[in-house]
Amino acid sequence: MDDASMVGLMGRVTGTIGPGLVGEVIVRVRGGAEHFLAYAAVGTARITPGTVVMVVEYLPPRTVYVTAAYDS
Amino acid sequence: MPMVVGVVAGAVVVAVLILIGLFKMMWRVAEPNEALIISGSKHRTEGLEEGMGFRIVTGRGTLVLPGVQAVRKLSLDLNETELSVDCVTHQGIPLKVRGVVIFKVGDDFVSIANAGRRFLDQQRMMSERVHNVFAGHLRSIVGGLTVEDMIRDREKLTGQTRAACGTEMEKLGLIVDSLQIHEIEDPTGYIQNLAMPHAAAVQRDARIAQAEANRLATEAEQQSYARMAEATRDSEILQAGYQAERDKAAASSRQAGPLADAAARQEVVVQETRVAELEAHRREQQLQADVRKPADAKAYEKRTLAEAERDVRISAAQAKAKETELAAAAEATRVKTAAGAEAEATKTRGTATAAATRATGEAEAAAAQAKGLAEAEATRAQGLAEAEAIKARAAALAENQEAVVAQQLAENWPEIVQAGASAFGNVDNMVLLNGADGMAEMFAKALTMGGTGLGLARQLLSSMNQNGPAQNGTSPAANGAVAPASQKIPLEQEA
Repeated sequence: MDDASMVGLMGRVTGTIGPGLVGEVIVRVRGGAEHFLAYAAVGTARITPGTVVMVVEYLPPRTVYVTAAYDS
Repeated sequence: MPMVVGVVAGAVVVAVLILIGLFKMMWRVAEPNEALIISGSKHRTEGLEEGMGFRIVTGRGTLVLPGVQAVRKLSLDLNETELSVDCVTHQGIPLKVRGVVIFKVGDDFVSIANAGRRFLDQQRMMSERVHNVFAGHLRSIVGGLTVEDMIRDREKLTGQTRAACGTEMEKLGLIVDSLQIHEIEDPTGYIQNLAMPHAAAVQRDARIAQAEANRLATEAEQQSYARMAEATRDSEILQAGYQAERDKAAASSRQAGPLADAAARQEVVVQETRVAELEAHRREQQLQADVRKPADAKAYEKRTLAEAERDVRISAAQAKAKETELAAAAEATRVKTAAGAEAEATKTRGTATAAATRATGEAEAAAAQAKGLAEAEATRAQGLAEAEAIKARAAALAENQEAVVAQQLAENWPEIVQAGASAFGNVDNMVLLNGADGMAEMFAKALTMGGTGLGLARQLLSSMNQNGPAQNGTSPAANGAVAPASQKIPLEQEA
């Protein structure tokens, strides 16, 4: 259960991610689903709840940087 | 030998039991909701980098050397903390907020390590610690919200929660699952006032809806009642109609018998009437034939006979009349002839008698002349005077013979009355219904009869002139002047 296992996982936004906001994503990990505080990995993107995202960076213990999984 | 085997077997069993006991003492299993934190050896620090000094085991068993390693359990269960905080909102409105924070230890080893370092001996006090932390954080959360947001915008509340204490709780190795605001005490009445327009609108809408519903219900009810009344009315009308039909049918059936009887009787009567008419017609015809025709014939016969008889009688009567007429003419002729003869005879006889009487009278007159001459001479002057007067009157009345007669009649009136009264001489009792008038009328009639019958009077006068001297036995008056004097005497005598 190292850091590398978190990067690349797909998750879903449950709290809006944006500048000045602390977002939230829920990711399937360790056999369950846990939520992590989330920030946008690039720029000032605003990611609304329901968007599928991919974890690109994991900062233990509970913070991830995500980017939208699909361009649309 | 068997004893040795038994001992050996027993020893083996004991040894096995001892081994199992040792294994049980050394083998620890982590429950799903807990993490084992094992310290005391440096080996196999899996999942954690060097330097931590302990290892974490979750979800499986591990061998622990008793006395060498210490095993502690950290609960990963959910915890909750009641919050009751006086705070001020973004608008500056003071509120008293009651809420609950639901949190747990994070599942990753970093969080478990952080939490293990901080709370391993104070797991019972974890809620209190979190409460203290969150009391301050809740103020900042509420301070970043308005009342409306708190009530309505759950997303904003959770966002503020994450922003205020997400990283803070990361330090403690905890994760916040939920922050719930249970109750907001509002000493200024802001929320009530906030709700009031809406409440009023809702109340208004509710009343409108209620009234509308009542109206619709009443309309439906009244329509239903009207339909019911209509249905009842129709039903009663139909029932009455059917009842009437039943009654009619019953009455018809009741009267069918009498009606049939009446119809039959009527037919009978009609036929009888027809028969009677025919009978009457027949009888009329028969009467025509039997009675009228013969009667007509008989009447014709009788009429013809009567006409013939009448003609016969007329002819007979005419003949008889002719006969009678001729007979009467003959009789008249005969009577006339006889009367002529008689008259001639009477005339002759009268002449003779007159001559005789004349002779006798002349003789008597001559005798009396002497006696009466003196008296005559005495009265001669008076008589001459009267005669002169009469002569004068006669001269005056010479033209009218009737006047002379009347004069004479007047002068002889007492005689006439005497003669009239003689008619009543034989009357014993005379009843006059009209009294004195009646008597006068009676005499008047009698006198009138006497008066009017000038002929009679003349005859009377003549008779008196003739008979007077005869009755008195005096000589006949030489002239008219003497006669009235001689007349008075008998009157006075008779009276």
